[in-house]
This record gives sequence, C-alpha cells and structure tokens, in this order.
Amino acid sequence: MNSINIIIAIIYKEFLLFYRNFTDVLSIFLFFILGIIIFVFAIGYDELILNKIGIGIIWALILLSNNLSLRKFYQDDFDNGNLIIFHMSGLSYELIVIIKILTIWIFLQLPFFLIIPIAWLLLNINMQNFELVLLSFLIGSPIITCISSISGSMNLLNKKNFAIGSLIIMVLSIPIIIFSVNLVDTSEEVIRAQINILIGILCFFLAITPWASSLCIKFAIQNN
Amino acid sequence: MKFLINPNRFNIFSSIILRPLIYISTITLIIGLIFALYLSPDDYQQGATVRIMYVHVPSAWLALLTFFIMTIYSILGLAFKIPFSFIVISAIAPIGATFTLICLVTGSLWGKPMWGTWWVWDARLTSVAILFLIYLIIIFLRKSFNNIHLGEKITAVFVLIGSINLPIIKFSVDWWNTLHQPASISKFSSPSIDPSMLSPLIIMTLAFMFIGISIAIIRIKAEIIDRKHK
Repeated sequence: MNSINIIIAIIYKEFLLFYRNFTDVLSIFLFFILGIIIFVFAIGYDELILNKIGIGIIWALILLSNNLSLRKFYQDDFDNGNLIIFHMSGLSYELIVIIKILTIWIFLQLPFFLIIPIAWLLLNINMQNFELVLLSFLIGSPIITCISSISGSMNLLNKKNFAIGSLIIMVLSIPIIIFSVNLVDTSEEVIRAQINILIGILCFFLAITPWASSLCIKFAIQNN
Repeated sequence: MKFLINPNRFNIFSSIILRPLIYISTITLIIGLIFALYLSPDDYQQGATVRIMYVHVPSAWLALLTFFIMTIYSILGLAFKIPFSFIVISAIAPIGATFTLICLVTGSLWGKPMWGTWWVWDARLTSVAILFLIYLIIIFLRKSFNNIHLGEKITAVFVLIGSINLPIIKFSVDWWNTLHQPASISKFSSPSIDPSMLSPLIIMTLAFMFIGISIAIIRIKAEIIDRKHK
C-alpha cells in the first residue's frame, strides 16, 4: 500500500510540474505546428504533393519535437537529486522508469491527438486514412517515448556532445517511421500485418526499456 | 582461452601471435587477390564486375561479425563485470565501421553497372546503412563523456540495443522483396555459387579476417597501455 502511495505522489508531482510549466509543454506543440507551416512554405502549396507526403511530414515532426522534450525525462530530476530520493523511498529504478514513461506519454504524447487533426487541416490531406494515422500514432508514440527514455538516461552525465541524444532517438526510431508511414500506402490485406509488426516493436521496447534505462541511471549515479 | 578476458594474458598471447599474423594476412591477401583478379572466371551475366564481390562480401560478413563480437563482449562486460571487454568494444568499433563503409562503397560501385543506380532504398542496403550509423554513434557516444568508465558502460548498453539490427540485416533479403540478391553461400547443403568463385571468396574472407584481427590486437594493446598510463 505504501509504495502505491509513493507512485501516486510521484505522478502528482509530475502533473504539478507540467501544470506550472505549461508554457514549456505548449512550446513543444507550437514547434510542431510551426514545423508544418515551414514545410508547407518550403515545398510550396500544392495539394497533390502535400496529400502524398503529408503523413510523412507529420511523423517526422512528431519525432523532431520529441527530441526537444528529451531533457524533461530524467535530466532535471537527476540534477536536483530527485531520482535518488525516489529510489530511497523504496522504489526500484525500473519502476521509476516505468512511471516516468507513463507520465511523459500522458502529458507530452497524448496531446498530439488534438494537434494531429489541426495539422491534417493545415496540410489539407483527404480524410480517408485519418483513423489509420491515429491508430499508428497510438501504437507508435509509446515506442518513441521508450526510445526517448533510453536516450535520455544514457546522456545524463554527457556534458560534451548535446546532439548524440537526438541521434540515438532518430536511429532507433527508423523502423517505426517505416512501418507507420507505410501503413497508409499499403493495400487492405497487409495493414493487419503491419499493425502486428508495430505492436511487436512496442512489446519489445516495453520489455527492454526499464532494464536499459535503469542500468544507465545506475551507472550515472555511481559515477557522479 | 583466458587471454580473451584478461589483459595481461592478452598481452602475452598477442606478443607471440601478432608478427606471424601480419605475415599470414599479407600472404593470404596476395594469394586471394591473385585468385580474385586473375584466376577466377568472369560471370556469364555480370562480366568482370563480379570481381567486386571478392571485396564486398567479405567486408559485409566481417562488419556483421565485428558487431556480433562487440555484442558478446558487452554482455560479458555488463553481466560479469569484466573490464577488459569494454577495452575490446572501444578498440574494434572503428574496425567494424571501416568494414561497413567498404561494404557500402563497393556495393554502390557494383550497383551502378548492374542495377543502373548507385543507391536504392532497399531493405538490405538500408539496414546496412543503419549499421554504419550505429557504429558511428557507438564511437561518438564513448568519446562524449568526461568519465571514461561511465562512457564505456553506456556504450555497451547501446551496443546491446543496436544488436537488434543484426538479424534484420541477415534476414532482410528473405523477409522483403529486395533488389539485393539473397544469400547464396549460407545454404550449407548446396551452395548456389560455383566452386571456382567460392574458393577466392573464402581466401579473401580469411585475409580480411586476419587483417581485422591484427589491427584489433594492435588497437587493444594501445588501449591497454593508454589505460595504464592514466
């Protein structure tokens, strides 16, 4: 019972942090919308081309805006010592990682469900694949969150090379981009198989992320 | 086999084996090149360009093999806390990256006359390109920490995660319809490659392997000396 109280307290603390720093979160979504506007100007407003590549633009920008929120994962908690306090209150690092993934997914990924329709309107894509994109985002966003967790925990003490965290996210998320963007173009029979592959990748990352992230956090705390 | 995990034993073993290994690798490379460039027949479809295979295929195999060895060493280092394994990982990562680069460049040189293009976004080619990027990230990740012991441990974790790519590369030609041809040698029962082409390929693979091992030994020795001075 005690540990459940602690978990709820941590989630409440995360919620308070996101609530009080609302502009931080909002600016990430603003980046997404601005990116789409930049893309439209860079390519030129041509309905046919935008229809064809719009979903790719949306996915690429989701990935890029995830790079922005990389520091929110563990860096702030690590710098002010919260991670050690969570651990001393009886939670294992694996559990902390799972809680973090859950809260980040709720506060930083779920709002994209409200923003993707706006992007849809801005890019003027036809409506027939809308559910498929939302479905692929529903499966793909937890995977991206897991990858950001791995990358964020790897770079806790990395003071030299700031780009490497984003590089790790991008390299590991190539399969997700491939399968989620393909989902829209493939024929009816293959869709089910593609969704199964995406769910498989999700299960894989859900399995390895707590291990990998907690190991990296442990190394960072030992060597700090 | 203690020399594989113990730096002192490794130093003793490598000082015995390094010089003969360099001679052997030079001799096998010369023999293999003679076989590959003069004695082996032209392909009836591809002509003389098939000789690119004798560089392309061994370097691809060795790129995969190097990553496999790195994966094993990172398991040893993380699970059994053997510090020597981190030295091996950081020493052989650039070798694997070089082999992958050789594989990509020769493949693209081979692809221009055969497929009519330098590069296609095909499953095998893409996954090997991702392997190259993963090698580069491994090298950069290790160098981006002030604390060298932390950097090598985190690199080992990333090597383990990146090793998902190995089965994808191996089976990409079977899982997807690719322009790249499927494996014609791994079928042990009946290899679909002619013996006159298989023998130079094997000699070249051995030569590449010996060269890789001798460079790895030199790099590991240098790394050990470097650690001792710190």
